Amino acid sequence: MTKHVAPPKRAGQENAPQDGGHTHILVLFVDDSHGALDRIIGLLRRRRSNMQTFAIGRSEMPNVVRITVVVNDSEVGVEQLVEQLRKIVDVRHIVNLSFEQAVARELALIKVNSTAAHQNEIIELGHLFGAHAADVDHETVTLEVTGSADKIDKLVTLLQAHGIREVARTGCVAMTRGTANT
Amino acid sequence: MGRDAFQETDIIGVTQPITKHNFLVRNIEDLADTVHEAFKLAQGGRPGPVLIDVPKDILQNKTLYRPLASVNSLEYFRATRQPELSSSAIEQAADIINKAQRPIIMSGHGVILSEAYNELRAFAEKTNIPVITTLLGISAFPVTHPLSLGMPGMHGPAHVNQAIGETDVLFAVGLRFDDRVTGKVSEFAPKARIIHIDIDASEIHKVKVATVPIIADAKAALAALTTAVKPGDHRAWISEIRSWETENAERTRRVKRDEQYPDPTSILEAIRAETGGEAIIVTDVGQHQMWTARHYTWTRPNSHITSGGLGTMGFALPAAMGVKMGMPDVPVWAVAGDGGIQMNIQELATLRQQGVSVKVAIMNNGYLGMVRQWQQFFHARNYSETPITGPDYVKLADAYGLTGMRITRREDVPAAIHKAMITEGTVIIDFVIESESNVYPMVAPGSGITSMIEESVEEDSNHD
Repeated sequence: MTKHVAPPKRAGQENAPQDGGHTHILVLFVDDSHGALDRIIGLLRRRRSNMQTFAIGRSEMPNVVRITVVVNDSEVGVEQLVEQLRKIVDVRHIVNLSFEQAVARELALIKVNSTAAHQNEIIELGHLFGAHAADVDHETVTLEVTGSADKIDKLVTLLQAHGIREVARTGCVAMTRGTANT
Repeated sequence: MGRDAFQETDIIGVTQPITKHNFLVRNIEDLADTVHEAFKLAQGGRPGPVLIDVPKDILQNKTLYRPLASVNSLEYFRATRQPELSSSAIEQAADIINKAQRPIIMSGHGVILSEAYNELRAFAEKTNIPVITTLLGISAFPVTHPLSLGMPGMHGPAHVNQAIGETDVLFAVGLRFDDRVTGKVSEFAPKARIIHIDIDASEIHKVKVATVPIIADAKAALAALTTAVKPGDHRAWISEIRSWETENAERTRRVKRDEQYPDPTSILEAIRAETGGEAIIVTDVGQHQMWTARHYTWTRPNSHITSGGLGTMGFALPAAMGVKMGMPDVPVWAVAGDGGIQMNIQELATLRQQGVSVKVAIMNNGYLGMVRQWQQFFHARNYSETPITGPDYVKLADAYGLTGMRITRREDVPAAIHKAMITEGTVIIDFVIESESNVYPMVAPGSGITSMIEESVEEDSNHD
């Protein structure tokens, strides 16, 4: 995973509209076949995609997995990437969603240091973010939170005062708002 | 598999970035379908190599053959479907072409792959637009045609690159704007609106943003456009380009040359004369490749085979063997340098063993010539690791049971080519050419293609 940085300049795209880069959600429906995941990851690496999260899991169709990739790039860069991904034989279908069009969520587990005195404070802070305590122990509280990447970032920042032991994030999954299918 | 057995290699992993697709056959029942599918995939859309990894236990197994008709998988349909031609894009493109003042057609490999020779010709003739062919597009359009201009880019003749610099409409069909074609991209066709036709959507806007992108098979798009456009007249523009051509030819004519050694032109002319222009020429990578692309008189469609953008030395000899096996009645010449020929020299044994008759012309200058040229121009003649000691090719041919010749004088070239053609089996001719001749003109890497390094009258004084 790469940090939020400016999209890489590609050779020869000086005359392409350089819109400075946006975050795009790519949803891929992929045959659950040998090497499919390798091909997608390999292509994202080779084409220097500015990838932020990558999430994979089953879809509503048998033998089709759903992959959600969040990339930051210019419109032209993302269009290129989509067309390249489309060429992978295992990729059945690919959708480029903007955040406005999408319901996008990420899940995180955050293990925080806590003494008995602070336990409630941490859990209540979590409640403000819709998080609940997935595990409580003498020295730690593990919060489970779902939401946008920004919301999770915010909660992590606030919890830093207590000392964070571990953060596990799933990466973004998304689908189209409304009745339309992704 | 997956347990590091003897000679076990992750071939699927190794070949993934260099194939269009690859398959691992894990079940003998899947073998027939996989092979059918692999062929469909390799040939469909934009063609490319497909690899099938067949493990040893599958090879030792038995199964019933299933014919092609039984293959009905999704992959098969997705990857081989033809893009639909957009009629609004055709209209838009036709409108731009009709209004163009200084248009150029740039034709690439896609035209050859879709066998759109007649369509390209009909389009060029109706619109009266001159045609540039990229390295892999060479032989799609006869160079003897009055509208033919030549090859663009790093080693293209100056008038072609000047024309690209001046054109107002660049009609690019079946090509991908390789960096060897464009040079510095911002200075490539700076005044032009671009119409870009390609079957591969991922090539559109990759390097140059197209005013009108058309995702289509070259043949279909050219046919539709020929109907849609009005007849054109660009004689003034063409004669302007021709005047640049004459000017440049005059300048190079003044350069004094050594006439003792065989030179690329004499070798290529002799091959053409001896084969009546019917030969298929397979080149390797380097100076000889550029000389052949530039100076051979290409008239037979799809008669130029070379490795293109990957620039894989060692390509010529095995590729020529493949061409000859596919077209046994056509004369096939492999033209190679003394560097590249040695990279797959073991194929001489295969040629002998299979009785395949390929004629090999080695342009031998004792150097990895193209690299030496770069060292001369850009690295102060620091000829690091480029001088090479080759074998005695006459003895080498003899050792493989083939015929070899060594030609050191220009006047002996036609007789040697003739002898090669009438000799049965594979023949290797070692042409000893001038050791430090260069490919001119040349665009320095990173420069715009209109600023070219020209051959100067004092050959020795250039660029160091």
